[in-house]
Amino acid sequence: MKDITKFIKNLKLYFKYAIRSAKAELKSEITDSYLNWLWWIIEPLSFMLIYAFVFGYVFKNTEQYFIPFVLIGITVWEFFSRMINGSVKLVLNNKDLITKVYIPKYVLLLSKSLTYLFKLFISFGILVIIMIFLNVPFTLKMLYFIPILFTLYVISFGIGLILMHYGVYIQDLSNLTNIVLRCVFYLSGVFYNISTRIEGIIQVFLLQVNPVAFLMNEFRKILIYNTTPSFEGLLFWLAIGSVLTYIGIHIIHENENSYAKVI
Amino acid sequence: MEKYAITVDDLHISYKGLKKMSIRSTFFNKKNKEKVDIIKAVNGVSLKIEKGKILGIIGKNGSGKSTMLRAIAGIFSPDKGSINLYGNSISLLSIGVGFNKKLTGRENIYLSGLLLGFTEDEIRKKEKQIIDFADIGKFIYKPVRMYSTGMHSKLAFAITAILETDIMLIDEVLSVGDIQFRKKSYNKMKELISAEHRTVIIVSHSTENLKELCDEVLWLHNGKIKMIGKPEEVLKKYEEFMGN
Repeated sequence: MKDITKFIKNLKLYFKYAIRSAKAELKSEITDSYLNWLWWIIEPLSFMLIYAFVFGYVFKNTEQYFIPFVLIGITVWEFFSRMINGSVKLVLNNKDLITKVYIPKYVLLLSKSLTYLFKLFISFGILVIIMIFLNVPFTLKMLYFIPILFTLYVISFGIGLILMHYGVYIQDLSNLTNIVLRCVFYLSGVFYNISTRIEGIIQVFLLQVNPVAFLMNEFRKILIYNTTPSFEGLLFWLAIGSVLTYIGIHIIHENENSYAKVI
Repeated sequence: MEKYAITVDDLHISYKGLKKMSIRSTFFNKKNKEKVDIIKAVNGVSLKIEKGKILGIIGKNGSGKSTMLRAIAGIFSPDKGSINLYGNSISLLSIGVGFNKKLTGRENIYLSGLLLGFTEDEIRKKEKQIIDFADIGKFIYKPVRMYSTGMHSKLAFAITAILETDIMLIDEVLSVGDIQFRKKSYNKMKELISAEHRTVIIVSHSTENLKELCDEVLWLHNGKIKMIGKPEEVLKKYEEFMGN
């Protein structure tokens, strides 16, 4: 309980900082580049076209609405993998800051996550435009977008916090996370439909053990297939995510003031 | 009102066992565990600083001065002992505050200010003053990574000097930038630390500066207090000691 009250207190104190820092970070990303903010649109669009070509055309995927299908996959995946990759080296990358001033370390992740959320929303914006072009029907079920996104955020934040802590002490942690991420990428059904392509026990296993696959599938269900999400599943992963976040907060409270000694 | 601004009680800080590891060494190397070097940076220091007083800390390299300052600023956690700031706001002025190098100087003013506990409005009011004091021209709108070392320190100094906190910890920044800025910053520093209500700790190797500025000087040697008292007495002993 002590950890939670401290966390909430710190969130209130540092939320302005997190927002300001996220905005500045986004701004700095585009000021030096040639195509400016267009990159935020070009990047998801190009990935979508590549996957749509390779898996839609070359491998002849007959999925209904394959382009939105792939774009949802990419958007969810990119958010998750950015959170994971971003958190491992987060403390190290902010060395200048944390050796000079006290800042609750999860504020660093919070700020980073806001920039990733921003990119996620751009990606979903592109999705909406494409769906209008393809005449995908818009329904009220799409409002489930919010709880599903929230679950995705909590899960990624929780895992991110824990990785952020171990990333300080274990130098080659990023090598390991790279391999695991690649593995999860192929098992998440970014460019194929787990529920139609894989059968039996493996399908159940993949969709229930891997939160990314599950949440990706839920997004697709409500956005393009007009079906109701699995509430038990969402609650389950929200609970897991909350527990991970709690553990992460606890570890960070215990250790954060030693980070400056290590890096 | 509290009489003291800072009390430090039996402070111990060591760097033991916090070495970086690799996954291999964590899982497969358990048998031949290397002996971990325990470096006791600060070893049982207790002191009390009254409100409005200026304390100088002197000692040779590696005697734990900076470590102690960082612990007081809340960046390090003590391994043993406690630090009480009585709710005062605190800022650590060392060579370069925590800048995000990708962002512009101006943006860094806001971020540093927020971290020091100021609101955006308060910072906005003082923004011009900071920029004027830093005196780095158009570079304020450029990313900090393009700054020279001097410009970096000038901006850092300007931020901490203009955004005043109750307690200021100053780590070896009495000689920042070119001669002109050095003069300006030295005068500003004098003005800041002589303000009645402000408590200041200065770490420096310059005995002259400490003699001029401080009410009391602490001599730290291998993480322990060797001497504490009037600046003239302590500094004289210190100079004798270092002379040998």
